[in-house]
Amino acid sequence: MFVFFSTCTVYLVLFGSTQADENSCGLSMTWLETVSVTMDVSKNGFHRDLVTTVDFGPGFPDGLEALLVHRLPSGIYIDQYQLASLKEDTGLQVLLGSVVDLEAPAHTSEEFIVLVYPALDQGSLKATLPIHGRYHKPSLAGKRFELVEIKLPKLILRTDTCTQLISFPPYKIVDAPCTVHNLSICQWLDIQHLQEQDPVSLEIPLGDGSLVEPVCAGTLLVTLLCCVILSRSIWRHGVF
Amino acid sequence: MASIMESVLSKLMNKNVLFTVSFLVRLVLVSFGVYQDRTMVVKYTDVDYHVFTDASKFITQGQSPYHRSTYRYTPLLAWILTPNVYLSHVFGKLLFITCDVLSGHLIYLILRQRGLSCEAACRVCSLWLLNPLPAGVSSRGNAESVLTALVLATLLCLELRQLPMAAILYGLAVHMKIYPVTYALPIALSLQRKENGEERRGGWWRRALGFLLRLLNKELFLFAGVAGVVFCGLTVLFYSMYGWDFLHETYLYHLTRRDIRHNFSPYFYMLYLTADSPWSLALGLAAFLPQALLLLLVSLAFHTDLALCCFLHTAIFVSFNKVCTSQYFLWYLCLFPLVLPRLTLSPKQGVELLALWFAGQGIWLAPAYYLEFEGYNTFLLIWLAGLIFLIINSFIMVQIITHYKPSDTMQRLKAE
Repeated sequence: MFVFFSTCTVYLVLFGSTQADENSCGLSMTWLETVSVTMDVSKNGFHRDLVTTVDFGPGFPDGLEALLVHRLPSGIYIDQYQLASLKEDTGLQVLLGSVVDLEAPAHTSEEFIVLVYPALDQGSLKATLPIHGRYHKPSLAGKRFELVEIKLPKLILRTDTCTQLISFPPYKIVDAPCTVHNLSICQWLDIQHLQEQDPVSLEIPLGDGSLVEPVCAGTLLVTLLCCVILSRSIWRHGVF
Repeated sequence: MASIMESVLSKLMNKNVLFTVSFLVRLVLVSFGVYQDRTMVVKYTDVDYHVFTDASKFITQGQSPYHRSTYRYTPLLAWILTPNVYLSHVFGKLLFITCDVLSGHLIYLILRQRGLSCEAACRVCSLWLLNPLPAGVSSRGNAESVLTALVLATLLCLELRQLPMAAILYGLAVHMKIYPVTYALPIALSLQRKENGEERRGGWWRRALGFLLRLLNKELFLFAGVAGVVFCGLTVLFYSMYGWDFLHETYLYHLTRRDIRHNFSPYFYMLYLTADSPWSLALGLAAFLPQALLLLLVSLAFHTDLALCCFLHTAIFVSFNKVCTSQYFLWYLCLFPLVLPRLTLSPKQGVELLALWFAGQGIWLAPAYYLEFEGYNTFLLIWLAGLIFLIINSFIMVQIITHYKPSDTMQRLKAE
């Protein structure tokens, strides 16, 4: 069952530790450097899939847990009820940082945080998150599409065998819910070098604001015409 | 081959066979839905059905059904569907297909009341019962069939002059979905006392006064009183339980709804482009006027034939509405079989009009698909298609009005 805690605030607190250690709970620096994250958007139109793939090199630590922290822009939304049904079908585990309005346009919405707990599968993991484009304000400058950029998620890792992580530069320790059930907070190692890839983007069609006058005139003309034609027919055949 | 088809068809037109087959077809669809939901990525069940079930879950936990976002219905529906949580997830679907077949039965009874033979009534009824659209909609878990049953039952009771029952059903129907509130005027007009010869003489103000006196009679007060008590009683009950959320989600949202996302309405693009402009309110009013004017005119013109009047009412309401999605079409389609037997259109003309109606939807669906699923900027085409669809709908309504052979009473009134 997908549990959604509206009170959940996802906070990532930096620990000021400066201790240099090449190895923290089996997460060694050399192994961490083999980790790579790629993200892609599949499908077209307003309903897309955000596919994130994480590849790990050999030497996979035991009991590794991964968490993808997405900060998604106001131009898109995620349907928590669709996620609930997906959880039953594919086992996708997602925690939303705030309540998401499914119907508001982009300019009245805010960016939001999504935590994805992907299942690890032999040296790599893949999470497919369904996202939906929001309607945007019509463009007055003749722009036909709005480019919505989605930044790469932050990947954070921990091992369930070890509770006391030690940070070592450039990796920092952050706090985040241990599991999708959001019952306790764990320490995770923030994998920093991954933030360099360009964001992926999707195009959302925009209404043409420069056409507002002909569109209004055309709409009112046609509806008035239909109204007159129908009225005439009703007047002729009705009993008054 | 043709003779086998004929014998199958004639058997199907037997009332009991027709209703049994219709119910079985819907049961098969529900079972297929369970199978498809389990095994395929594309789900059979309507999204709204999950919304209802989630709302029922909140009810069983002693909470407000409005904790489920996008639940915009009466709490009564969530209450009725609590067996979805306690008994089985398909309970609601079984209820909806039962209401769907019941709607067919009500159509049959109204047609019989309007003088059709048993066989002719079955034939017309099969247009609803064997129609894939209502069968699909109800078996997918959409609650429209509850409303079609309530509206048809109201009309049947009015035909039978069982006013208290009609009023209870009407009050309930308006509570379930706000749109039948527009039937209040034709119903009130149909309840007016007959005009006598003396009243027909005199100046316009005397005639107007006579009309008002005829309108305000005992039957109207009875109907309005009972329907009002049912509607207000339910409103007060649920307001005391769920507060402002209930009023907003059940009534106000639907009255003030301004969905800027693409839909069949001719007004969609205009409302999207002017959503934040200062004349948005004026334009909303300008869009409301043709709808209101036509509803008033139809009520005055056809109230002596309530079935025709309600059909035209709903078709106009939906076609000229600021938001229109395909489930709204069911609102008037359920009343169409009542009108059909009195249409003097040839079968060829009928098929042509039907094809035209589907073509109108096709013209809209193509650019809407390219916008939504391919990301092409087709807003302008969707707007034009919406206007064409309105023109087509208006044309079909004009054809129905001109080819409608009124009942004897209506003809007599017209002659007078």
